[in-house]
Amino acid sequence: MSIILDENTRLIVQGITGREGRFHTEQMLAYGANVVGGVTPGKGGQEVLGVPVFNTVREALDATNANATVIFVPAKFMRNSVEEAIDAGIPTVMTIAEHVPVHDMMYCYYLARVKGVRLFGPNSFGIISPGKTKAGFMPHAIFKPGNVGLMTRSATNGYETIFLMSNAGIGQSTAIGVGGDMIPGSMFVDLLPDFEADPDTKAIVLIGEIGGSEEELAAEYIKKHVTKPVVALIAGKNAPKGRSMGHAGAIVSADGTGSAASKEAALRAAGCYIAESSAHVVEILKEIL
Amino acid sequence: MDLLEYKAQEIFAKYDVPIMKNTVIDSAEGIAEKIVEANLSYPVVVKAQVQIGGRGKAGGIKFADTPEEASDRAKEILYMNIRGHIAKQLMIVEKANPVDEWYLSIMLDRLTKSPLLIFSPVGGMDIEQVAKEQPDKIAKIPIDIFTGVKDYVIEYAMDKTGADKKFKDQLKAMVEKLYKAFFEYHCMLIEINPVGVNADDTLIALDGKVSIDDSALYKLPDILEFRDKLQEEELVKEARSFRFHYVPLEDEGDIGIMSNGSGLMMSCIDLISKRGMKCGSGLDLGGGATAERIKEAVRIMYSNPKVHTLFICLFGGITRCDEVCGGVKLALAEQPANKKVIIRMEGTNKDKGIEIINTISDRVTLVNGIPEAVEALWDLRQ
Repeated sequence: MSIILDENTRLIVQGITGREGRFHTEQMLAYGANVVGGVTPGKGGQEVLGVPVFNTVREALDATNANATVIFVPAKFMRNSVEEAIDAGIPTVMTIAEHVPVHDMMYCYYLARVKGVRLFGPNSFGIISPGKTKAGFMPHAIFKPGNVGLMTRSATNGYETIFLMSNAGIGQSTAIGVGGDMIPGSMFVDLLPDFEADPDTKAIVLIGEIGGSEEELAAEYIKKHVTKPVVALIAGKNAPKGRSMGHAGAIVSADGTGSAASKEAALRAAGCYIAESSAHVVEILKEIL
Repeated sequence: MDLLEYKAQEIFAKYDVPIMKNTVIDSAEGIAEKIVEANLSYPVVVKAQVQIGGRGKAGGIKFADTPEEASDRAKEILYMNIRGHIAKQLMIVEKANPVDEWYLSIMLDRLTKSPLLIFSPVGGMDIEQVAKEQPDKIAKIPIDIFTGVKDYVIEYAMDKTGADKKFKDQLKAMVEKLYKAFFEYHCMLIEINPVGVNADDTLIALDGKVSIDDSALYKLPDILEFRDKLQEEELVKEARSFRFHYVPLEDEGDIGIMSNGSGLMMSCIDLISKRGMKCGSGLDLGGGATAERIKEAVRIMYSNPKVHTLFICLFGGITRCDEVCGGVKLALAEQPANKKVIIRMEGTNKDKGIEIINTISDRVTLVNGIPEAVEALWDLRQ
């Protein structure tokens, strides 16, 4: 098993004819993802890598019965693409773009919740269930099927940890880039119930970073509801206050809110293992699996 | 980005939020005339325009009763260095005489993922202090973005804090204007502190702060223009012109960190700091950099004179290792021999990257993982 995506996922790619959309569609197909269609307004009727292109999401849905979409459009068009996907009734929507205006995302976040849609990203590598399928731009060669569920705010910290895990023979059930922005479509606390319920996930890795309080909310949930071991890594212990570290969401405010220390303390109190580095995550996993 | 006070006042005025008459100057010449032109009455307040709080205590805010005094005070404050921020502009504003001071803001709240209305009839000071000392005098209300500012929101805010309800309609009008500006200007925070309560029972914005989402600036030409005139660290500006994100770190740090993602960059900084070394600056390349751009990135990092060793940590998907190594080679040819580079890379075209590194192995150390890189950095300093 895995969560969110599996071998039965029927995926469409919004922005399939763009440079990134085309390149990563090729990668997704190479990995075995069931990409059933693509959407680019004005390019309906064409084919990209053997995948039919439609003008609208609704048309793509009618023709392919897709159940998930990954959106490869530039940040300024993201809100429009999410609206279209949600309006058409796709239950799982993944967004990739960096530098999405946070007001756009605030709106999409609520729209998704009101309509009961699962929204992921932006500023995320996407989602991969190793050995089954992937939706996003992660370098899939570093992943390995297995029984650790992973979710990460940072793509690069995620890659680093996954690379070391896979090299050590520890595979992943599903790995999710929740994204580095201030308002992610889904956060740790939204995914913990899925990993807890997934019989093939034996342990959970949570890679957080400074800024916001999502790690603290996760800790609260873990304490009450999660029985599986959780290993947490928090980046940014030595980041200066009041200065964004590149991710829009990674900032410790002047009064200290969002610090790594507060997150580690909350997670530790919830019974999580606290790792100092990606390598340390692997050491801990070796002990507990 | 944080706007200066005068720019925040401009936005308030644009949305019909009442403000005091003011004028902005950037030269010590003809100040009295400018005050006349702007039709200000004395006394006036002369205020340094800097992106940092606490300017009053630092001497950046002064009062004047006459044209001569205004001119003298302006000369004292113009180009004043307030904790590293130079006051290149001053705002001269009519002095208000409020009978009371309130607080009002709307911020984008990460916790509720909503615009959060914060109101208090205790204003003029730091709202965090009010929250600590008089928590019953502060109302924080998330606003539903699908329903907006409703009567009951204002009603609740005033009841909870014991504010005088005769101002209800005026306060609601002010919140509505602020709310409109909050969305149209993609604000992270729009704050009026203090809201002056005048003797004639009118409300007025006496000071304000506006902070805007950097990712939305492309929609806001007037703010982009404002940003380009702002004083900023040169390296930050320069890096941005190449679409890099440069972060100044510790003043005495002698290690520079470059990565293709800010998460990985932060993790490297954590491990280096843990080993007892200090990082002077960080640079996030983002995705897909070419050799030419990498060369500029390396040059920008070495423009910080304290940085002697650069640690480049890559996990390349879109970013190709050979492009990075090629850029490093180009950049090092222009740097003195004592500038060293440690590279750790994984991903696309790693082998081609290694071939390039082999031609500059006197300057560049290739390592296999981040812990090894930290040890190599340590060895280089010994």
